[in-house]
Amino acid sequence: MNNRLVLAAGGVAAALIIGLAVILILVIGGGGGSDNGGNAESSGTPSSGKTSSSGSSQDNNSASAGELRVRGADPLFLDPAVAEDADSAVYIVEIFSGLVRLDHDLKVQPDLAQSWDTSPDGMTYTFHLNPKATFQDGRLVTAGDVKYSWERALNPDTGSVTAENFLGDIVGAKDVSRGRATDVSGLKALDDETLQVTIDAPKAYFLYKLTYPTAFVVDQKQIESNPRRWTLKPNGTGPYKLKEWKLGERIVLQAYDNNVLGAPKLKQVTFELSGGSSLVDYQDGNIDVTGVGLDDLESVQDSSNKLNAEYQTSPRQSLDYIGFNTKTAPFDDPKVRQAFALAVDRNKIADVVLKDAVPVANGILMPGVPGYTQEDKTYPYDPERAKQLLSESKYAGNMPEITLAETGAGATVGPTTEAIVQSWKQNLGVEVKIQQADAATFFQDIDQARYQMFHLGWIMDYPDPEDVLDILFHTGSRQNSTQYSNADIDAKLDQARTEQDTEKRLAIYQDVERALVQDAVWIPMFFDTTHALVKPYVKGYDFPPIVIEHYRDVEVDRP
Amino acid sequence: MDGLAAYIVRRLLFLPVALLVVSFATFCITRYGPGDPISVYSGQYRDPEAFDRVRHKYGLDKPVVEQYGIWLKDAVLHGDLGPSFRYRDRTIPEIIGPKIWVSVRLGVYAFILTFLIGIPAGILAAVRQGTWLDPLVIGFFLIFQSIPILVTLPLLVLGLSVKLDLVPPGGFDGIFTRSMIIPTIALGLPGIAGVARLARAVTLGTLHEDFVRTARAKGLDEGTVVVRHVARNSVVPVMTTVIGLSIVGLLEGALFTETILGIPGIGRFIFESVNGRDYNVILAIVLLMTVAFMLANLVVDIVLAVLDPRLRTSGTGAR
Amino acid sequence: MIDATYAPGSPASAEEAARAPASPFLRALRRLLRKRIAVICLALIALFYCAGIIAPLAAPYGYAEQNLDASFEGPSWAHPLGTDRNGRDVLSRNMFAMRTTVVVTIATVAAGGIVLPVTLGLLAGYAGGAVDWVINRAGEILASLPGLPMLVLISATMRPRFNGWVGDVEDWVGWHGLTSSGFADYFLIFSVLSLFGWVGGMRLIRAQVLTLRGSQYVLAAEAAGASTPRILFRHLLPNVLPLVVVGVSASLGAVAGSEIGLTFLGVGIQPPHPSFGALISDGASRIVLQNHPALLLVPAAIVSSLIFAFNLLGDSITDIITPGAR
Repeated sequence: MNNRLVLAAGGVAAALIIGLAVILILVIGGGGGSDNGGNAESSGTPSSGKTSSSGSSQDNNSASAGELRVRGADPLFLDPAVAEDADSAVYIVEIFSGLVRLDHDLKVQPDLAQSWDTSPDGMTYTFHLNPKATFQDGRLVTAGDVKYSWERALNPDTGSVTAENFLGDIVGAKDVSRGRATDVSGLKALDDETLQVTIDAPKAYFLYKLTYPTAFVVDQKQIESNPRRWTLKPNGTGPYKLKEWKLGERIVLQAYDNNVLGAPKLKQVTFELSGGSSLVDYQDGNIDVTGVGLDDLESVQDSSNKLNAEYQTSPRQSLDYIGFNTKTAPFDDPKVRQAFALAVDRNKIADVVLKDAVPVANGILMPGVPGYTQEDKTYPYDPERAKQLLSESKYAGNMPEITLAETGAGATVGPTTEAIVQSWKQNLGVEVKIQQADAATFFQDIDQARYQMFHLGWIMDYPDPEDVLDILFHTGSRQNSTQYSNADIDAKLDQARTEQDTEKRLAIYQDVERALVQDAVWIPMFFDTTHALVKPYVKGYDFPPIVIEHYRDVEVDRP
Repeated sequence: MDGLAAYIVRRLLFLPVALLVVSFATFCITRYGPGDPISVYSGQYRDPEAFDRVRHKYGLDKPVVEQYGIWLKDAVLHGDLGPSFRYRDRTIPEIIGPKIWVSVRLGVYAFILTFLIGIPAGILAAVRQGTWLDPLVIGFFLIFQSIPILVTLPLLVLGLSVKLDLVPPGGFDGIFTRSMIIPTIALGLPGIAGVARLARAVTLGTLHEDFVRTARAKGLDEGTVVVRHVARNSVVPVMTTVIGLSIVGLLEGALFTETILGIPGIGRFIFESVNGRDYNVILAIVLLMTVAFMLANLVVDIVLAVLDPRLRTSGTGAR
Repeated sequence: MIDATYAPGSPASAEEAARAPASPFLRALRRLLRKRIAVICLALIALFYCAGIIAPLAAPYGYAEQNLDASFEGPSWAHPLGTDRNGRDVLSRNMFAMRTTVVVTIATVAAGGIVLPVTLGLLAGYAGGAVDWVINRAGEILASLPGLPMLVLISATMRPRFNGWVGDVEDWVGWHGLTSSGFADYFLIFSVLSLFGWVGGMRLIRAQVLTLRGSQYVLAAEAAGASTPRILFRHLLPNVLPLVVVGVSASLGAVAGSEIGLTFLGVGIQPPHPSFGALISDGASRIVLQNHPALLLVPAAIVSSLIFAFNLLGDSITDIITPGAR
């Protein structure tokens, strides 16, 4: 009987000890976070015990000049024709390359092709390959290799889901992807160095599509001799070779000096694939660049924090938005959609919840995309008008149950979504339920138009308004998850596809964008920004707004 | 020991039957849910026709039973567990092997910690039974068992890594590095209470055995008596039983630990595979774990059966 | 789910219980209440559970009620325990989370800790033969399955369908608000936890039944021509229940822990429904923990002390029901 009490006393004693330890931990200084000045110093010096604790499997201490260490994620697999995930793309754009590439201003530049001619009707491109273009094993790249790569991408046996999207404009491409042919009639290798491509209409954005990995060149000999495992040690044409890939641990890219555009300045990139907080790793000197998460943002932005000097931001071409299913109640009524758009105070949410980490969107097109303007085309925050519009709509007083869907698999909904939903409740008196689903479920349901509204994002694959306005809003487009169908806009989009005059073309897209935003098909919420810390001895590190190769010009001059 | 041999054989014979049931059930459950590896993989681009073409390539559009038949044939006849739909250029053993190895080593560390502290604690409590030390020791470790791992992990990271700079904040640098300290502590602490309890119970039983009394009568120092005779006889049954029963708890703890600390083990990988609907990988992992658990249970039951023949037919153990 | 580290009841105690006069439970209860520590634990558990049950009425704010102007505030009259990032009241959130725990633990233990093991254990032990074999084999398979991974899998694949079914039921029966209350989530967790948890208890009870089968008591009843259900319920059941009670308290603790873990991983109770798992996940990120430790420590302290109380209480009950086992 007494024993029980002592047992409990033991437990309570343990609890008190733990509690004391916790308090001590929290109170006593040291560590990153909101502490400024001294701490960042003490944990940032490379000589702190941490570096050596990282074990012998890394040669952190012997990281040399010309070597960059960053965090990365395991790619799923390295086949440019098939790989669709962002994690794989990071490596693919370094290991492989295509006829053309995007430079850091997102302009089309030569890569394997040193020049090209366009026919007057805009439907035939003739690419002249650079005679110095080689695979990483030294073999010269021929036009036949390009033709092979594209036909392989389109071939249904390869299993690519994006090929039709990016290469489908070529005459005869869809015949191959639907299994009706094996040869793309619009692709002709005139000789080893010349490739002629004919597309089905004078589409100005075609070249942009060729900068996407699906159009990259792969080694036919390697694939045919090792069809199942060639991606483990791919023979690409890009600036970097895959030197090492330990699943779950590390990837090492090594410069390929005979790359057609010249030897990369940065000789080696090491990606650490596992680990806890990357910020702490950065402070310990184990990695040279790191992203900054929302939680750490405030302290890093504080100018009294030593880390602040190494802080950089860069815009990303991605948009966070709320999309409405325009064919289901209550969002088939534009007034309801507009009311919802007017009832969210995006500025406040960005301020309080997101700590101004991202800019509020002023339209659908993001900064850097041709056609972007500074003018704010979105609905302002006006709860009064919102209420009024709602009362004028045909669902006034008769609102059905509304669910907002988003992907997520975590214990909590993002605070942003919760804040948004709260706004609607407070300003419109409408109760919106949040439904989280994992990616698989979510996208399937989106495909089947099961949601009334959804919270999603869109990242540009290439910098052209067609990649968002046409693909997502044209009637009949497979990606049109809002079921939006507007004949007027369709006509404009069709016209823009083949309009040769760039200015006129962009003007059309701007009209379309304005119309879409006014019709509240989407509520554009926020653009995205990359927040990062870069060590002072790393020069030339760029943050391109979309995933393109960007390591070749980096220089690391380690102290 | 003919009865025992027959018992073991009976149990082992059931293993393939169980695996068949489990594999079929898992197979169906994975394919029952919404989404499939192809559509999940695709991210932004939704092209249902293209998806269908790729599905056809992998045979995912066949009826479920037919797919299962194909899988079963390949697995049993060729040892081929099927392709991974995510890591398409590697075989399944290649993918999960290293991860299992990481988790197993981490588990071993945790066990070592648990026993290193638990057994002496239990013996201490038993020897000092009747005093305040006995329940205090048990109670002390009981509180650790009651605190969820989800809580101990962030606290440990904050304390040991951020504030005191002793260990890296996570990740896996190697099995002999300091990055293993936090996960080992987090995984090992909760189990100490259970081990201590059992050690205490067994010790109490042994303390009254003849040979101990004899040793005491001979005038041997109490300490020597305890350490030599009692410890030796308590350790084995305690260890086997607890290991067998704890593997389950360890796996669950490992799942949290690996996810939060970013350790590339099998626990975290299950998550990724389920989210990515990598059917064959999920199936392979589930089967592997089932086999492991069944064997662990079998070992525990054998040990218990040897110790107490009465229990042989009823089969205790498990949760 | 019944903690198998407890030694199964020895025949001596079962017979003793069988011989006891009416309401052995009241006697046991009285003995329990004489232990000071048991009372303290019971009181703590009762306090928490009550707070959870009356949460919808007593909590000052709603679970999701936010106030973006009051982000990350410390304790004040308006918010005794402060607020979180979205300005939600910490005290209220913990109360609602407690409610979830109450619901899930009681439902799961009732089904998977009591009803299922008892029914199946009685059946297996008494009927024997094929029934026994099937139940045993099923139990063996379920016990060998890796619980958490299966749970993750089932949750990911079944949840949407579940939601669909609940929606259908809702339309059919006309009970609106069923889906939005998160009923599907609770049901899913409860089902899976029960399904994977009955095996241990079943085995204990079955062992007990096997022992009791040959006792004078039962043989006499059979000889007197008592029907099987009568034997099961009137003679076997009362003798078997003490075993069940022994494990209930610890089971409650384990289930609470499981639910929290599952929700933390995202496969348990989905937002916006309350759960300690969600609160802990909110509070556990490094920066939040450093600057606003209360967000993690409050739910952590509540959950830890609750589970600890369950464990201690379980110890006390074991002491009473099976004297000498410890």
